[in-house]
Amino acid sequence: MWNLTANRALGLACIAFALLVALVWIPFDTDTWLVERKRGQYIVGDSLAPTLAAVFVLIAGVLLVLDRKSQGEKPSRDNLAFICAMIGIGGVCLLVMRWAGPVAATLLASEEYRLLRDTAPWKYIGFVLGGVALIFSMIAFVEERPSWRALLIALAAVAGIILLYDVPFDDILLPPNGDV
Amino acid sequence: MTDLGALDYIWLGVLAVFQGPEAFSILGLSVSITVLMVTFGLILGIVVGATPGLGSVIAMAISLPILISAFGFNADALLPVLGFLIGVMKGSTVGGAVPAILFNTPGTPDAYMTTLDGYPMAQAGKARKALKISHFSSVTGDTFSDIVLIVCAPFLAILVEGYLDLPEKTALLILSLSFIAAVVGGSAAKGLLSCGLGLLAVYIGTGEDFYPRLSFGAPALSDGIPITAAVIGILVIGAIFAELEELWHQTRRTGTIEVARDEGDQRLHWADIRRILPYIGRSALIGTAIGALPGIGSTLAATIGYATGKRRHARRKAPGDKAFGEGVPEGIAATEAANSSVSGANLIPVLSLGIPGNTAAVFLILAADSIGGFNPGPAVFKFSTDLNPELVIAFGLFTTMIIANLLNWTVGGALMRWLGVLVRIPKQHLLPVVLLLTLASLYVEETSMSAVWFGFGFGILGYFMKRFGISPLPFVIGFVLGGRLEDTARQAFSATGGDPFFLLKSPIAALFILAAVAVVFFSVRKPKAVTP
Repeated sequence: MWNLTANRALGLACIAFALLVALVWIPFDTDTWLVERKRGQYIVGDSLAPTLAAVFVLIAGVLLVLDRKSQGEKPSRDNLAFICAMIGIGGVCLLVMRWAGPVAATLLASEEYRLLRDTAPWKYIGFVLGGVALIFSMIAFVEERPSWRALLIALAAVAGIILLYDVPFDDILLPPNGDV
Repeated sequence: MTDLGALDYIWLGVLAVFQGPEAFSILGLSVSITVLMVTFGLILGIVVGATPGLGSVIAMAISLPILISAFGFNADALLPVLGFLIGVMKGSTVGGAVPAILFNTPGTPDAYMTTLDGYPMAQAGKARKALKISHFSSVTGDTFSDIVLIVCAPFLAILVEGYLDLPEKTALLILSLSFIAAVVGGSAAKGLLSCGLGLLAVYIGTGEDFYPRLSFGAPALSDGIPITAAVIGILVIGAIFAELEELWHQTRRTGTIEVARDEGDQRLHWADIRRILPYIGRSALIGTAIGALPGIGSTLAATIGYATGKRRHARRKAPGDKAFGEGVPEGIAATEAANSSVSGANLIPVLSLGIPGNTAAVFLILAADSIGGFNPGPAVFKFSTDLNPELVIAFGLFTTMIIANLLNWTVGGALMRWLGVLVRIPKQHLLPVVLLLTLASLYVEETSMSAVWFGFGFGILGYFMKRFGISPLPFVIGFVLGGRLEDTARQAFSATGGDPFFLLKSPIAALFILAAVAVVFFSVRKPKAVTP
């Protein structure tokens, strides 16, 4: 009886991914083939190395599908709930980190954020808001309750990182100030 | 200029460390920045090793951008930065035993075996003695391993440079990747998958064509994925997510998160050392032999060292004596000597072949790549009569390892025992702070929000790999070696006039390829359960 174990499901996904990469992504998103002829000589094209990487994934997939010995590990529903929460918290906080400064400058400053990105307090707005939100939310999620202690830890940690990276070095910019 | 011999290079390496830029002087004696940085690195390593949830990888990831900002991109920066990383590597090996012995919480998989006898000793009121045994065994194993590294790496490099041409080097890289994929992690198939994904990721946005391949035309992908984002994301951020989840489950199960408590005190006598020395000797040999093979982590060394020690102890113990697992010093000695002796030997493949064998070696390559002027690999060990600055750096690096060992012998043990208090820091508070610090350090290094997003994304991939029982190490090593593998293969293909069978024409290359296939084949037939 052929059971769809976790390993086999992973194997089938790997085979599908490898075929998609090798037959669709690489041919349509690369300029040269596996091997090219240039000035009378054969040279390795840009497609060869990623195709071999896809072959690695394909072989792994086949081996997993043929695996009869072990069921294999897989993420549980709890695991998925946890990582979705982390993705949500991380995603929102990084967006806050990226956009809080420019939005504040648009609303409150006379100059655009680009010109203020190395000037206090503007340069700290995104990092402080995004950073504090990230640490506070993650602690609150793991402890299943928000607390003043979590907020204090978040504020202290962000202040510590600013002291570590921003204060001693003139050439270091905190996120997102280097590429806004 | 006089011709330079091997001894001259060794001496120049020592001088580069001690006579480099001065940090300060005590009573007219100059202390160089490199010596100071090795000391700082060692202290930081012991601190992070003793703190559950942290480790050498996190410490290296966070400190690298600070070090590069502080020292800049010049040849003078190499030894202080690499020396610091060496110090972190060695310190964390020693510090890792603290939570394992005091609180039965192995910070890393290789410290698990230390808990088996260390924690029962702590419970029996011998925590301090267990820590002293662990320190003695760990530093002895590490020192032995370093001696083997210093003696073997140059000879291996000379052999490689003398006998291996481009096709053989390509085949050797393929053999290394296959070996790592096959022996690391739950199964050969999952190792291959991890390695394949690492290779695929590194080929995005790179290549020789005008159009950056596999980039979908997106600017964020067209410069390739930053190596630091991929490595730190997979190794550090993925591990943070997994660790946080364990704490979340603890809260949901019991409503609280367990906090460990301190206890116990004892002295280490010469009779104890005599008792444990045979176990240390055997485990150091086992760890060094295993460490010299790329990709095999210290967990396997610890397991084999412990099992070997257990057999010997069972044969020799008196009927009423405690057995392994009941709190015997020999158990700690066998484990710690084995897992610590892996770290030095793990640098043999990186220094002699340019193939990183573990995560610490990956960070040494990252640092050397970022600063420039030192490319770990066989070319480093060219004993040319004209000055080869890379060889001086290599011997300087060996000198920093000796300094780190001396510091570990002298002050490492005392520092390790003072740090038991760090175990009390709640991990649920520490890990989110470490996550932000890691993301900030990624940004500082790359100055691009896309690197932060990449790091976060690879962290999620690392988390899923962990949940599917896939080791992240083959991914990282595939990512680090992928570019070199392609370049070497391109050159070998062109040099052989476009021969498609260039990997099979030379007997050595054919042998390497055959070995690569054999390693995967035999691993598929007999799945291993080794996690680095």
